Amino acid sequence: MKNRALARPFAVIGVWFILALILVWSLAPVVVMVFTSFKPRDEIFQVPTRLLPDVWTWDNFVTVFTASNMPGALLNSIVVGLLVAAATLIFCFSAGYALARFKFRGARPMALFILLGQVVPLTVVLLPLYQIVSSMQLLDTTIGLAFAHLAITVPLVTWMVRNQIAAIPVDLEEAAQIDGGSRFDAVTYITLPICAPGLVAAGMFAFLQSWHEFLFASVMTSSTAARTAPVALTEFANEFSVDWGATMAASVVLTVPLVIAFIALQRYFVGGLTGGAVKG
Amino acid sequence: MSTQSIITGTTGARRRSGRPVALMLPALVLTVVLMVVPIGTTIVRVIADGGEGLVRLFAAPNIGPVMWNTLVWTVGSVIGGIVIGYLGALVLQSKHLRLVGLWRGLVMIPWIIPGVVAATVWRWTLSTDYGILNQTLLDVGLIDSPVRWLSNPDIVLIAVALIQIWVTAPFVMLMVSAALTGIPEERYEAARLDGAGSATILWHIILPAIRTTTGICILTLAIWALNSFTIIYVTTSGGPAGASTILPILLYQAFQQGDQTLVYAVAFVQLIIGAVFAVLFARTMRTDIEEQS
Repeated sequence: MKNRALARPFAVIGVWFILALILVWSLAPVVVMVFTSFKPRDEIFQVPTRLLPDVWTWDNFVTVFTASNMPGALLNSIVVGLLVAAATLIFCFSAGYALARFKFRGARPMALFILLGQVVPLTVVLLPLYQIVSSMQLLDTTIGLAFAHLAITVPLVTWMVRNQIAAIPVDLEEAAQIDGGSRFDAVTYITLPICAPGLVAAGMFAFLQSWHEFLFASVMTSSTAARTAPVALTEFANEFSVDWGATMAASVVLTVPLVIAFIALQRYFVGGLTGGAVKG
Repeated sequence: MSTQSIITGTTGARRRSGRPVALMLPALVLTVVLMVVPIGTTIVRVIADGGEGLVRLFAAPNIGPVMWNTLVWTVGSVIGGIVIGYLGALVLQSKHLRLVGLWRGLVMIPWIIPGVVAATVWRWTLSTDYGILNQTLLDVGLIDSPVRWLSNPDIVLIAVALIQIWVTAPFVMLMVSAALTGIPEERYEAARLDGAGSATILWHIILPAIRTTTGICILTLAIWALNSFTIIYVTTSGGPAGASTILPILLYQAFQQGDQTLVYAVAFVQLIIGAVFAVLFARTMRTDIEEQS
């Protein structure tokens, strides 16, 4: 017993200590990003480097929004993301519904088939996909890029949606059908509203995947007409001969919407992402 | 495979009336166009070229280093991600902690940050002269002169692997945390009554209980690392002197040079490696599908 009483405070200190280490490891680069974005130019290249700015300035953000291609790139990112989210939801709701509600031969191979899309390396499909988009005359357009992004979102979101629908008791749909509605009515008035929050999260997830994506975007968009924000961020370096202050400010701008969306939808993300893979 | 499934699907046993295959069709067609056609093209092109691309790829002087880099990078990223992810998940599980939700949200940030941003921010943090990491290490006295993290060929692979670990460890934390909540409290209590210490509980109760999760995490991290492009490309473009070039970077360089034969050859090699992981992944997921339906 004596041993226990002694061990306890050590355990508490140990746990908080490890947590502190993990927090520093996780957040230090983010903190550096935020503080650097508020530093004036001469402080950024000051040696020895200090974490906090002496003088706080919004100049870097002003540069990003008035003297760079970033505003247009952000708009392109939003357009591509919305297209991806909408298309993904349409494709994946119908596939997810079929997988959750019907028992049919071939269901398992089909589920695995779609799921395996997750394992296919993006670089492997890069050139053929580039040629497909090119042959559709969609290179350097937001639609062409959105189409390519479906390769990333469809496998993942099909699985998320399938799990959400499987969690809704089928009795609810059957009850609606007994009351004289068609199966379509049952889905429209019962299933869809129940899983609407989950679908919003899935759509958001698709949007974020597209918002992140760099490889396809850098290859398939070349002009300001379709170039997305991640690509614009890397081009910042050349455009301003590495204006690190503006680069960090643009990084903050690209990150903030994600953090807000994640906080708002955390519950669904965690459920959706782990639901397919983890069991207790 | 898919056409056969469609035929048997419509005539086979169904639980309820409806057209499941018709509902699946849009997603299936999309998967065929976005995945099957590209993979088919890759295989056809490699064969049609009479293996010329593969011969050139394996005759290239840098193929040995690239394969070695790919292996080191993958193994390093997976081990780092698993260790930090487990540590984080176990700590967040502790009853001694308060505000767990807040901490959990904060440690997720590296994972939700766009890959390009993560790479850019680390490029700045690791900067030789202006980077805060070197400055901190100098201040503490751990190093005498600035470390050239991204420009020294001997350490660049470690530096970029650190970034990959930073990005992926939160995923492991998330998965393991979810799995840990599934372990019934009684099991811990029973073990403690039997006099088990923390290490024994970890080894004999926690780790076996989340074995499936561990498998999925290792597979997922390995697949991500093998196919990772953004972090290395943005921080080093594969340099210096190819010291951080892995297969996806090699493919991209061939793509930029318009060397289609070589692109297909590298894609083919990645496909073979990917197929091994796909089989393992499918095995793990199959039991999951069976148990859920």
